[in-house]
Amino acid sequence: MSDRIIFHIDVNSAYLSWEAAYRLQHGSQTDLREIPSIVGGDQEKRHGIVLAKSIPAKKFGIITGETIHAAREKCPGLVMVPPNYYRYILASDAMVDLLQEYSPLIQRYSIDEVFLDYSNMDIPFMDAAREMSGRIENDLGFTVNIGIGPNKLLAKMASDFSKPNKIHTLFHHQMEEKMWGLPVQDLFMVGSRTARKLNGRGIFTIGHLASLDRDYIHSWLKKPGLLIWEYANGIENSEVRRGGTPIKSVGNSTTLPFDVETREEAHKVLLAISEMIGMRARDLEMCGWVISVSIKNHLFYSCSHQKKLTGPTDATSTIYSYAALLFDELWDGEPLRHLSISLSQLQSSEFFQLSILEPFDVRNRSLDRTIDSLRSKFGQNSIYRSCFLHSGIDPVIGGVVMEESYPMMSSYL
Amino acid sequence: MKVLMKPIEMIAWFNGEKFPVPLRFRLQAEDGSNLVIKIDRILFQEEEKLAGNRMVVYRCEGVVQGLNKIFELKYEILTCKWFLFKI
Repeated sequence: MSDRIIFHIDVNSAYLSWEAAYRLQHGSQTDLREIPSIVGGDQEKRHGIVLAKSIPAKKFGIITGETIHAAREKCPGLVMVPPNYYRYILASDAMVDLLQEYSPLIQRYSIDEVFLDYSNMDIPFMDAAREMSGRIENDLGFTVNIGIGPNKLLAKMASDFSKPNKIHTLFHHQMEEKMWGLPVQDLFMVGSRTARKLNGRGIFTIGHLASLDRDYIHSWLKKPGLLIWEYANGIENSEVRRGGTPIKSVGNSTTLPFDVETREEAHKVLLAISEMIGMRARDLEMCGWVISVSIKNHLFYSCSHQKKLTGPTDATSTIYSYAALLFDELWDGEPLRHLSISLSQLQSSEFFQLSILEPFDVRNRSLDRTIDSLRSKFGQNSIYRSCFLHSGIDPVIGGVVMEESYPMMSSYL
Repeated sequence: MKVLMKPIEMIAWFNGEKFPVPLRFRLQAEDGSNLVIKIDRILFQEEEKLAGNRMVVYRCEGVVQGLNKIFELKYEILTCKWFLFKI
């Protein structure tokens, strides 16, 4: 294990770089990366957040995830472009194709991040990394950061050091110098809440966390604490998985263009989301035990509610009926801007135990399957329930293209 | 050369080689009239994959309104569209 060499390749401001490269190819005279610019959702439809920003935009203090309105206040001349996921998938695929020439062991960690196992290769890793980053820049027109380490965690930490277009190494003997001085929230898996807890006990750097007694951290933060303690010490040994990360749940959500005020409308939205979730679960050949619903009202207050079923399901109608039930228990009548459903505790749908408490009709399964095949052949809106006619609500709601093959974010290395 | 990136109507020849060979194209001039330009010579062609989008760039020579000119065409493989890229 000691001579493993893992690369983590991370596209610098991915969506923005891809958009910029595409526009230059199509004759645009300005490079979005050189002016204050962002890729952001549609403000009309209230999907108005910053998805990616250029480095000049960063200098105005614009952060990813804030509203477009706030970003515009910080920088009045800001150039905004809408996202185009299909294009980004092309760019991501092209990068993976190129990287496949260097190693067969590649894990797509997200649309813009890739782990590559470079153990026992002929060309020295530094030369290979320089060649990769050079070729990506010249052929594909965007830049990447490459982190090199003995495992996925250190490689990922390394690629985050300084940007853009850099190559960093982080081996165990370099941890003290390169990683331990960093603030504790820079460590993978340490979010703002954990950071606050750690800061509360005077732990501000990764080095300090690493030096703590293992039993102490275990008794205080339990298993997650042990995990971040191991990470702080550079201990992590998961494989570079070719199939990507295992799927633990299927969820979709939507921010609505208008506030939903009636129960009937909310149910329609839930049905539309259920259609998407059912379709995705059946496509993965999985069914789930737990259904959870979460809502956010017009004041941005959010809450959620979940239920374990008596038997696993992948049927649109079952998902919908429980989602509606959970929703009715949860909702207090406030206007809603955001609704989401997720199906978790997944298992294979090849064989599963039916429940005597739950009606099961084989005809429902074949109906779902027929609708799925019609939709995959003739488009998502080729067949839909009549209740969506003239309702102003899309009959199938959810998600960025094919989230399952390109997870947007994951906490599993 | 100036960047135009104007969509054009193209007659091209698919000869079994890697890329199609442009023969002649039509574009609308500023006064609204149609302009047909014949490609006399392809100086070079190359594929570019910027942002993963495959396009073939051709540098060509031809007569435009009585003048022998050099211009660049682009063919977008995904959409099968031709563009007058630079002239």
